[in-house]
Amino acid sequence: MQRSQEAQVKLLVDVRLDGANQLSQFPSSPTLPAPATPPPLNAGPPLLQVRNLRTWFPIKRGVFQRTVGQIKAVDGVSFDVQAGRTLGLVGESGCGKTTVGRTILRLIPATTGSVTFKGDDFFAHRGEDLRHLRRQMQIIFQDPVSSLNPRMTVGNIVGEPLTVHNIAWGSDRVDRVAALLQRVGLDPSYASRYPHEFSGGQRQRIGIARALALSPDFIVCDEPVSALDVSIQSQILNLLDDLQRERKIAFLFIAHNLAVVEHFSDEVAVMYLGRIVEKASRTELYANPKHPYTVALLSAVPEPDPRPKKTRIVLSGEVPSPSKPPTGCPFHPRCPLTREAAKQANAADTVEITTAGERVRVLRKCVEEVPPLEQKQGEPGHVAACWVTR
Amino acid sequence: MSSAATPAAVDTVMGAVALSERPRSLWRDAMARLHTRKLNYVYASVLAIYALVAIIAFTPLLGKSVFDAQVGAQYAPPAFTGTVEQGTANEHSTIRPSLWLGTDIAGRSVLYKLLYGTRVALTVSLLASILSVVIGTVLGLLAGYYRGWVDALITWLYTTINSIPWILLMVALAYALKDREFKMFGQEFKLVGIPSIVMALGLTSWVGLCRLMRGEVLKHRERDYVAAAKAVGAGTSRIIFRHILPNTFHLVIIDFTLGIVSFVQAEVILSFLGLGVKDQPSWGVMIDDAKLELMRNVWWQFAGATAAIFGLSICLNFLGDALRDALDPRLRGVD
Repeated sequence: MQRSQEAQVKLLVDVRLDGANQLSQFPSSPTLPAPATPPPLNAGPPLLQVRNLRTWFPIKRGVFQRTVGQIKAVDGVSFDVQAGRTLGLVGESGCGKTTVGRTILRLIPATTGSVTFKGDDFFAHRGEDLRHLRRQMQIIFQDPVSSLNPRMTVGNIVGEPLTVHNIAWGSDRVDRVAALLQRVGLDPSYASRYPHEFSGGQRQRIGIARALALSPDFIVCDEPVSALDVSIQSQILNLLDDLQRERKIAFLFIAHNLAVVEHFSDEVAVMYLGRIVEKASRTELYANPKHPYTVALLSAVPEPDPRPKKTRIVLSGEVPSPSKPPTGCPFHPRCPLTREAAKQANAADTVEITTAGERVRVLRKCVEEVPPLEQKQGEPGHVAACWVTR
Repeated sequence: MSSAATPAAVDTVMGAVALSERPRSLWRDAMARLHTRKLNYVYASVLAIYALVAIIAFTPLLGKSVFDAQVGAQYAPPAFTGTVEQGTANEHSTIRPSLWLGTDIAGRSVLYKLLYGTRVALTVSLLASILSVVIGTVLGLLAGYYRGWVDALITWLYTTINSIPWILLMVALAYALKDREFKMFGQEFKLVGIPSIVMALGLTSWVGLCRLMRGEVLKHRERDYVAAAKAVGAGTSRIIFRHILPNTFHLVIIDFTLGIVSFVQAEVILSFLGLGVKDQPSWGVMIDDAKLELMRNVWWQFAGATAAIFGLSICLNFLGDALRDALDPRLRGVD
């Protein structure tokens, strides 16, 4: 039973992702069953707890490098990742999703906030302690070219974690590296090769093998397939899928491709301008998006059917600079919903703003107050940050 | 589920690049690239001959007794043969290599002095190159990796040094260091000859490499492979020396090669100004001597020394350029 179900899922995945460039059977498409049985969320204490994470980059000017402002790349992000589960993090370029992943792993120092891993404050550790903890949290990068050191052999790249943590030496290390390469679908004889001899998909497999070397419980997948050909994408995603099932690894899956995230995640969080604007289980989010930004994002997913059934929501204006985010709800200058709502509201509750060269009337509340991430109608745990939607 | 085998099978069918028979490291690629131009072998063999001569000059075969011996009359012009056992019954003419380039004011062989001068030239330039490359590399790595105040300090240091014309600074430092005595480890040292020249050259010429290294390191430290090493738990020294340094090492090699050329020339300048080596022949000292001899039509000492410098410089330059072409990723379109 289990087996056949798995096979079915796999088949499904292949079919869906092979056509992924003009993708896809859109999420809510009724012809498709849910790709995998949705696991219960919030079961037990989370593996990873991120609370109020802020990563601000100072803007320095002048001879004395005075700080004249902050780029708020990540501005108060909170979420949980359950053991063995996947949280998808989506958003357009520059919304801070990559920074979130790197800040969690302390590749970039956090400004404030906390990351609790297995009930332990990860940011409190230093030196040898921190090094030891790093064994449990790894990362897979987007760019398969720059993420592998061109001067090191594949064997040294994959084996480096073993050396750094004093786990294996000599022939033991060679054996382990061979096993890892085999596990990610590469020939063990590739260990003596250099990265530039491989294709993008193969390099990504090398990167995955390196991340697996320390048997981590949590891996940040930072757009692991967006630099790959569509046909290769499905191979890599299947590999990650298999690994998760086999080793119970939790993923933070960062992507801008909504179809990939839908296939891959148990829970999805949508980011806009450094904040999470909506979060729900996969099925719920795709079937019943609440935040106007999510709705717009979903409407932009290309469909294979040339006669569009749904209307595409085109947002006006540009993403504002994270150094000067709009007041109140960061989405208000582009939000179609608040404009609609303003038409029906009392004139006293509305205010006129200039955005992308046009004057529009929006709700005063949206301009003045930051909406909290709160429960909306629908599944428990479906939260969104919006003053307008219910 | 044989998922381990499936992707591998897929991989061999699609997307895989054809692998050459042997792993191609970037160094091996560079060597192959050097190999395609046969002229590089000519440069390399000429340099090997220079090196061999320098090594021989460290043995008694070309020692003081050889280059200091009087072999003929004062300022004897170059000749292929010469008479031996003059004044005896056995006096006859024979091939005498010592006279091939004539003699100097004391009747010493110019050829032997020239050959011995290779030792001085190569010793000075190699040691100075090593010194400057080590300083430039370490400071460049530190400035680029740590940034912040470390970078500010190092940048300040090298821009200050760079604002003074190199030759002036080098000459000034050579003056300052000349015959200086200092105490270290309870012992008295006196900087004479080669050590003082090496320090004057090495301490003033690391700026170019340091600046290049800093720039490259700034670029590489943001690469994902560095982030991956951090995520894996690699320490700072491992990241700097095992990851970043090998990726910037081509700069070191090119700077080292081209540095030797300029140091050979600099040694001549210092010797010409009387700041060079003493009590042993060097190309610079020979050219310094020649400035008076030329008026008396004694051209061979000058010609010999310049030809030796020319041969060494041109081969090093060509080989250095070839190395740069072979190693620099930007010129290869890899980066």
